[in-house]
Amino acid sequence: MAEKLEDLNLPMTVVTRIVKEALPEGVSISKEARTGLAKAASVFVLYVTSAATNIVKNKKRKALTGQDVLDAMRDIEFDRFVEPLGEALEQYKQMVSARKSGGGKKKEEGEEVEMIEDD
Amino acid sequence: MTTPKSEKDLHLPLSRVKTIMKSSPDVEAVGAEPLYLVTKVTELFVTDLAKRAFKNSKNTFLEYKHIAEVVQEDDTLDFLREIMPRKITVRQFKEMMAKKAAKNGNSDDSSEESSEEESTEESSSNNEQD
Repeated sequence: MAEKLEDLNLPMTVVTRIVKEALPEGVSISKEARTGLAKAASVFVLYVTSAATNIVKNKKRKALTGQDVLDAMRDIEFDRFVEPLGEALEQYKQMVSARKSGGGKKKEEGEEVEMIEDD
Repeated sequence: MTTPKSEKDLHLPLSRVKTIMKSSPDVEAVGAEPLYLVTKVTELFVTDLAKRAFKNSKNTFLEYKHIAEVVQEDDTLDFLREIMPRKITVRQFKEMMAKKAAKNGNSDDSSEESSEEESTEESSSNNEQD
């Protein structure tokens, strides 16, 4: 659970960096635009999560999978993200299996990769 | 021993995305794979929204109103309409006025003209987070 309210927002600096990379060089972004984009991104996370969770519920499963997130894109009519996201999922799966076969702990990021927690 | 590309290319902190996901009442646990994808798609989303908003800008300055315009015109962005109204809310307006009044001691009509555009410059000095 989130301890502080800020924990429920994505960091504005990071969101701004993504925006700057997306736009031509030399574009300036007003503070309100930055705040707005960061907020939009945070709400988007929840929106996608709830769409994906709905799929899980309908299938009477419990755990959320990558495929559910992918399927959720169609449900919320973000079809344009299906393709790039599908590629990302493939890459991710390859990476995970490569890491597994590559033998054990190469780095200490296991937490992010393997963990399925239940608290 | 190189870090796999697909994980490195993420900007947003996975831990924060996870916290947000878990704030959803239906979510108990978040596995690494869905977490990765949600993070990834959120970055795609931000990129997409910024690019489209920038098309509404006539120069090299991206403003709030450009984003709000995209949000109001695209029905798939309906979920953002409440947090990104085309115009500022009464509450925000009042807060803005209150701040202004506190800052320069006068809250006359002159300040009422100012809309969100002007406040961007000024708000840089005060940190208003809610």
